[in-house]
Amino acid sequence: MQVNIIIRKRLLVVFFLLSLGLLIVAFRLVWLQFVRGDELRQMALENRLNEVPVMPQRGIIYDRNRRELAISIATDYIGAFPPEVKRSGREKEIAAQLAAILNLPEDKVLEKITRNTGFEFVARKVEFQQAQKIKDLKLPGIEVVPENRRYYPNGPLAAHVLGFAGSDNQGLEGLEVMYEKELRGVPGKIVMEFDAIGHEIPQAVHRYIPPQNGYSLVLTLDENIQFIAERELDNIAASPTKPRKASILIMDPNTGEILAMASRPAFDPNKYDVYPPEIWGNPLVRDTYEPGSTFKIITTAAALEEGVVRPEERFYCPGYIKVAGEMLRCWTFPLGHGSETFAEGVKNSCNPVFITLALRLEEKKPGLFYDYIEAFGFGRPTGIDLTGEATGLMISRQELKPINIATIGMGQGIAVTPIQLATAAAAIANGGKLIRPHLVKEVLDAEGEVVRRYEPEVVRRVISPATARKVAELLEGVVAEGTGRNAYIPGYRVGGKTGTAQKPGPGGYQPGKYVASFLGFAPVNNPRLLGLVVIDEPQGYPYYGGTVAAPIFQKVMADALRYLEVPPQYDAKKEENKVPVTVPNVVGKSLDEAREELQKLGLVARPEGEGTVVVAQTPKAGAIVPPGTKVILYLQGNNSRPLVPDITGLRLPEAAEVLEAYGLRLVPQGTGKAAEQQPVPGTRVSPGAQVKVIFQEPAREAMGP
Amino acid sequence: MVGRRLWRNLDYPFIGSIIAILALSLVVLNSAAAGISADPDYYVKRQFLWIILGFGAMLAAIKVDYQVLRRYHLPIYLFNLALLVAVLLVGNEAKGAQRWIALGSFIFQPSEFAKISVIITLSRLLEARQGRLNNLKDLVMPFLHIALPMLLILVQPDLGTALVLMAILLGMLYLAGANTALLAKLIITGGVLVSFALFAHFHYGLPLPLKEYQLQRLVVFLNPYNDGEGGLGAGYHIIQSQIAIGSGGIWGKGLHQGSQVHLNFLPEHHTDFIFSVVGEELGFIRTLGVLGLYFILLYRTLHIAGRAKDMFGALLAGGVASLFAFHLLVNIGMTIGIMPVTGIPLPLFSYGGSAMLSNLLSLGLVLNVNLRRQKIPF
Repeated sequence: MQVNIIIRKRLLVVFFLLSLGLLIVAFRLVWLQFVRGDELRQMALENRLNEVPVMPQRGIIYDRNRRELAISIATDYIGAFPPEVKRSGREKEIAAQLAAILNLPEDKVLEKITRNTGFEFVARKVEFQQAQKIKDLKLPGIEVVPENRRYYPNGPLAAHVLGFAGSDNQGLEGLEVMYEKELRGVPGKIVMEFDAIGHEIPQAVHRYIPPQNGYSLVLTLDENIQFIAERELDNIAASPTKPRKASILIMDPNTGEILAMASRPAFDPNKYDVYPPEIWGNPLVRDTYEPGSTFKIITTAAALEEGVVRPEERFYCPGYIKVAGEMLRCWTFPLGHGSETFAEGVKNSCNPVFITLALRLEEKKPGLFYDYIEAFGFGRPTGIDLTGEATGLMISRQELKPINIATIGMGQGIAVTPIQLATAAAAIANGGKLIRPHLVKEVLDAEGEVVRRYEPEVVRRVISPATARKVAELLEGVVAEGTGRNAYIPGYRVGGKTGTAQKPGPGGYQPGKYVASFLGFAPVNNPRLLGLVVIDEPQGYPYYGGTVAAPIFQKVMADALRYLEVPPQYDAKKEENKVPVTVPNVVGKSLDEAREELQKLGLVARPEGEGTVVVAQTPKAGAIVPPGTKVILYLQGNNSRPLVPDITGLRLPEAAEVLEAYGLRLVPQGTGKAAEQQPVPGTRVSPGAQVKVIFQEPAREAMGP
Repeated sequence: MVGRRLWRNLDYPFIGSIIAILALSLVVLNSAAAGISADPDYYVKRQFLWIILGFGAMLAAIKVDYQVLRRYHLPIYLFNLALLVAVLLVGNEAKGAQRWIALGSFIFQPSEFAKISVIITLSRLLEARQGRLNNLKDLVMPFLHIALPMLLILVQPDLGTALVLMAILLGMLYLAGANTALLAKLIITGGVLVSFALFAHFHYGLPLPLKEYQLQRLVVFLNPYNDGEGGLGAGYHIIQSQIAIGSGGIWGKGLHQGSQVHLNFLPEHHTDFIFSVVGEELGFIRTLGVLGLYFILLYRTLHIAGRAKDMFGALLAGGVASLFAFHLLVNIGMTIGIMPVTGIPLPLFSYGGSAMLSNLLSLGLVLNVNLRRQKIPF
């Protein structure tokens, strides 16, 4: 039959089509079970394993004396297993209870705990009482799991250094983000096997993988010095000067360790989100500014190192200098400094002097000045361990004109970060080595063992120790007798340089907007501390670095040196050069005779009282003193109506002797040096009258504000 | 009556593959359904009962010469329509569809029997029209023949079974000698139209007379993660099924060991997705074995069709082959992610009474054709 032949043929075709279909199925099976096998096996595993994250404790941040600056405190988070919640059939009720305890909108909670996922966070960092209440409710599918919250016990102290960690304990700013890897730790987890509708499977996989707590940091910061710096910043912020910004940096110039780093306006890292993000950054590493006269330190160092100037060399300042046809003014313009030595020029911060030095360097070898500027670390980040460090701005060598070199010599036409400037100055203070500044001293593991130590890192030698010493001495002159007088700290040798730079804006320098700064270190012969104070846009007059920034430097450094117990210095140099003398006995002699005798020995007579005959002296005869010491000569006046002498500063035996010579009676009170007396000096009294004197040990605070 | 002589014609590979598939299905069901009800053997027992009933139906189907069916084609067709109307009127609703009629404690799914009814009546129709299936006009009648039952099934709604009817029609038309080029054109045109309609629906909102979830299921296999819920919506079944099969590897995880099945990540694992259980617990090699058994079954069915006494018998067996092949490829294709999700069970394997009964009944028809292949000698 013909039909049967057709149907047989067609049955064969159907058979082949069927075989083809089954072959495709078989190939697909190979694809799924072999090619994608591992991947799908993993997915099957993930399907049935539910993980509850267990947060590690974030490492502590300590100051150099192991005082806590940032800690982690225990809280709880509320987690939900939506499948389990849904299975209980009580999701509405659970949401209502959670919402009431946690003060969250109920619909949001409901949405979260019924999501199509295996695990959800309902609330993070929940208060202890709230967590306890939720724990007590024993709600199905709701877990209370411990976690940590970052806490900064000192509030805003060192906020710009520490930065802060966010809601997930992740570092967001400052050291918190820079050392995120060390601080964070490794989260652990509880792994549970669950079926598709959220039954926890008994005797199934149930493992606890403990979290690894983060490493702790020991900073170079000293909480006390940091506090001193911030106190002064608060003072200036509250004063009429009311600058837009103010910053202080204190550093150990020998090691590059930063002891204090503070800025205003500041913020409290515990609630960083209520402050504008613009103030989160650290201005000392992120801001660039024209350094102005503080940069003359670099010019000085380069010029001395290259031998293009000697300290005694004479300059003449008519109040301006002409460079390439342009007139550059000295800050005293229209007046000039006149004839001055280089050392005096430094003291006076005389612009023409530094312009001349910069041009001499360029003359010696083109690009030489720039080589030094770069060698001192300008134009690239210092490598301090903080995020967002700026590089500063330098005119490219190709575009550099003589006029630029001239202005850069006095600190204009270059933008630097405060940390760059401080690091460069540290190279002068420490004898010529550029050191990488750093904030972290040690990294500790969870047991407190040191796992890493950051040693001082010398980047390069910039100038010779001899040059460094010379520059330091010149800078000491600035503080002793020059523009930096306000930075003088009694008892210490301080070197430094003021800076007052006009702020550039669109179309030139902006009138009335200045950056006043002071950069200095102490003690000059063995620098322990280097400080930089930058006051951005001080209000009103005066706005000079020497008047606005130097006093702050003085207060911070004085307190910091005393806190570090750096011994006050005597003028060691003069002691070396001049032979001490023995004070002669001039009691009974006339004032003129006494004065002559003292002068011969190089001592200075200081008469006290009226009359011509010396009745007492201090220091007493036989004392060995350096030349130039003042000897007070008490003069005999009218014995029937004696004048009460000024005995302030004398110790009890001396005071008694002096008063006795005047025929007065001492009524002492306290010990130490005479601080107050009654009647006051110059009062005319009867012979034999009583003089009440209060003796005090000189208070340390006397050196403060 | 079935005489002794007739039994000599019995196709042993055919009957053997059926018994092997059924035995395996009980073993796999024993694992797959273990956790579904309180009595772990509940489903196996019920399925076993259905198999016994199915064999009864099979025996009944071979008792009388299939030639008799030719005579009753009209009552069969009308009875089928009556049942399908009845299910719409008095049927039980489950999972959003009316598919069942309850007769006492006996639940009955008329669409299952619609398949057999269509095969029988269509065999008769096409036998009568053989040699006259060469142009579009000739095809109008066969299409109309299945259009009524198809529509009634579509409104239940049961898209899968409706598509089965279409597959049976196309398969039988081809075997009956319809113009190949014409059929190919029809299939291609239909495919393009459906694809175009679906594309237009999902991209431009073209309204289609199907429920949204049905349409979703038709296309989601192309990218199961793109179901609007990241693989947790319409794509979930396919993703979990492929994870189950893929994680089975070469030898499988062992019976009762499949995590996808026993932790309920894979839904419908005792019915539509039973093949995924085979893949996960038995592994690649044994899965190929299962495919081999179906291959033998279908091969023998086609063989029986080819050796049928007459065109009616050949079309009967060919129709059953079309039915099984479509079920097999669409169901397995769905579980391995190369076919749309249409809710078609794996014949002889998926749990389900009506389906088992109708499947065995239809195989009984094939056996009937097989046994009566020899012409009675005069």
